[in-house]
Amino acid sequence: MRKKIIGMVSILLALGSVFTGCGTGAAAGEGSAGSRGQEHGSGIVCYVGHGFWDGSLDPVKGSFSYGYDFISNGLVRVNPKAEYEGDLAESWEISEDSLAYTYHLKKGIQFQDGSGFRAEDVVFTYQTVMENQGQNGEVDLSKVKKVEAVDEYTVKFTLKEPYSPFLDSTAQLGIVPKDGYDSAAFDQMPVGTGPWKVVQYDAEQQLIVEANEGYFEGAPEIKRVTFVDMDNEAAFSNARSGQLDVVMVQPSYAAESVEGMHMEKLETMDVRNISLPCREPGTFTNANGEQVEVGNPVTSDVSVRKALAIGIDRQQIIENAFHGVGKPAVGWTGNLIWGNTAEYEDSRAEEAKGLLEESGWADTDGDGIREKNGVECAFEVYTPADEQDRYMLAAAAAESAADLGISITVKQATWDEIVEKTNTQGAVWGFGQFSPIVIGNQFQSGRFTVQPYANPSGYENQEVDRLIAEAISANTQEQAVAAWKKAQAAYAEDYPYLYLANIEHCYFISDRLDISMDTQIPHPHGHGIPIICNMKDWKLIGSTAD
Amino acid sequence: MDKAGDGMATGKKKMGGFWNRRQKTLCSIGFAAAYLLLALLAGLLVSPESYGVDYGAKFLAPCFAHPFGTDEMGRDMFFRSVKGLSNSIGIGVLASAASSVIALAFGVTAAVKGGIADRFVNWCVDLCMGIPHLILLVLISFMMGRGQKGVMAAVALTHWPELTRLVRAEVLQIRSAQYVQASYRMGKTRMWAAWHHMVPQVLPVYLIGVVLLFPHAIMHEAAVTFLGFGFPPEVPAIGVILSESMKHIAAGNWWLAVFPGLLLLLAVMLFDVAGENLKRLWNPNSGNE
Repeated sequence: MRKKIIGMVSILLALGSVFTGCGTGAAAGEGSAGSRGQEHGSGIVCYVGHGFWDGSLDPVKGSFSYGYDFISNGLVRVNPKAEYEGDLAESWEISEDSLAYTYHLKKGIQFQDGSGFRAEDVVFTYQTVMENQGQNGEVDLSKVKKVEAVDEYTVKFTLKEPYSPFLDSTAQLGIVPKDGYDSAAFDQMPVGTGPWKVVQYDAEQQLIVEANEGYFEGAPEIKRVTFVDMDNEAAFSNARSGQLDVVMVQPSYAAESVEGMHMEKLETMDVRNISLPCREPGTFTNANGEQVEVGNPVTSDVSVRKALAIGIDRQQIIENAFHGVGKPAVGWTGNLIWGNTAEYEDSRAEEAKGLLEESGWADTDGDGIREKNGVECAFEVYTPADEQDRYMLAAAAAESAADLGISITVKQATWDEIVEKTNTQGAVWGFGQFSPIVIGNQFQSGRFTVQPYANPSGYENQEVDRLIAEAISANTQEQAVAAWKKAQAAYAEDYPYLYLANIEHCYFISDRLDISMDTQIPHPHGHGIPIICNMKDWKLIGSTAD
Repeated sequence: MDKAGDGMATGKKKMGGFWNRRQKTLCSIGFAAAYLLLALLAGLLVSPESYGVDYGAKFLAPCFAHPFGTDEMGRDMFFRSVKGLSNSIGIGVLASAASSVIALAFGVTAAVKGGIADRFVNWCVDLCMGIPHLILLVLISFMMGRGQKGVMAAVALTHWPELTRLVRAEVLQIRSAQYVQASYRMGKTRMWAAWHHMVPQVLPVYLIGVVLLFPHAIMHEAAVTFLGFGFPPEVPAIGVILSESMKHIAAGNWWLAVFPGLLLLLAVMLFDVAGENLKRLWNPNSGNE
């Protein structure tokens, strides 16, 4: 009996906490936002997700691989127009045969530990990554044959074969000091040339960084930044009680208001699409020599894929799934230099229906779903169980597809299960990165079933394969970009992926903080940390900036 | 202590004139059974359209058209909760049935056969009770591939140890009774005696155990699903609904958690009350515990 009572009391307590939970949230909203950050002096407190604690902070092990100038710098970096410019390197050149990349380094730069930045540090960093490639899943240096210091301020890379995305690799890898490097210590307290240095790291609690007064582009104006770890909902409540200056929130919170803060929706290159298996049902021998079931009788019909692409209403889908946050997308985004921005109108339901009728898909039994030769025009779309926004997106897309007489059943599963399912059914993907090699990952026929996440549609097109190869072996950035664009045009008519939306990252920003929208680079995949890409340019405005 | 007890008893007598304990018990059992049946049937009759997606009606607070409000996709929370509770009760029934059969078989065998059989059953009971219940549930559910199958197996296979102990203890007591011994002397087999003399004797304790097991099973199903190891998120289940609601509480959408939670709480409490009352009715000695 006592056990039962305890059980019930705990239930009541749990329920009670629900009430008080929203009670404090509402009360805090009325509280003074003036207290925001006061106890932190000229510092700010931010919540940008759990990314800092997910892995090592050591660039050698793949941290901050999208190349932000945070704790360390790469040789080059992307600017707000997504073009490459020198960071630690003054300039670079690529040899005629596309095999040698020579970088001329800037002089007079110091690491945070006081040691000078030299070519040997670059050589050390790259060699360490090459020797421990297994620890770094972000920066792929497998195409590099050797890296050597020509003189104190010149580094030369020699590649095994032409590989134009290598330029992006040099933007992704932050340089660590050769003498001061300590693999264990750098997981939490890395030392680099960047504008911020770590002063305290408490795993899954907080990360405190301070301005590097000796930063070669000038010290940041804000002197101290604390990143806290909590869950999304707790962070929102804390924002309401005035304790945070930057809070990452999901799109469903975009319509909320917080006193003393405003909502910023930041541009990303992250596009959400649904992979549509292009192959006819059958078996396929994968890289391990196993026979696997592949293909889908419905999505292997290009007219079904095209009907979906032109017939659905993307704006309505975004309204429904993301509360209007995000932009319709039919391909890669225009904020990438290699993005093919050829667009087409959607919501052409009549045309889409005609296309389906033409290829034999008709609703003969009156259940609202088309059939052809006894096969229902229906398939499944899988979304990862821990990402509610992808489920919402797929469910909204399914609603829109139902108007065309195509039935999509949305299911949730773990990534392991999804990887298996993608051979025969659809899945919701999110891709966004500066390196165009993502096109190779998604469309090169040879990658099907070889790696998880690569070419999930099983797409096969020799012309596209050829153009991707041409882009990879291109000698100049311009040639490479041209070939990447041609490849995108070549697969456009096959619709192997149903592009839906270009998401936007939502943050509540304190009104006293200026996050320098002009120097924000388009955010890559991964809501949360990308907002700090230009943190060195942030400013405190008004009287609170003391 | 005694005085207080007397005071309470007389007070109750005075207050509830024609309601004696027996009637109250029957009433609570009837109420619990009606709730169970109603929820189960309602859940079976509710069509998926009634909690279908309606983007025009997102996050509506409770109103006449939607007594429990609506969620992020405009789904009616009342029908979703009822369907969810029905799913949970289905699992509860299944778990109670499976666990009670296991418990009866194990308990009687252990007590009657003794020796190795007894030691084996005790070992199994200790093994299961040695692992924290929730962890065992998650473990089994994960092993069975999660989803509906996983949560069914997990809940059905982990609720028998307590009941087994109870049945075993009762049977041990009866085994040495004269009439059982006499039955042996007359040439009846052990299993015959177990079935004809012992099972009817343990039945009250056993049935109470089954009723008391039921709320546990429902709670555990909801808990495992809440943690993401039970029903897949697209299936309406109380655990799914509650874990989804956690994302929206900070934004003030309290109804997403409160009403489904209350529905579950009511189911669990009703059965607990009914079980406790049954226990006093069928097994009056338990009042002295």
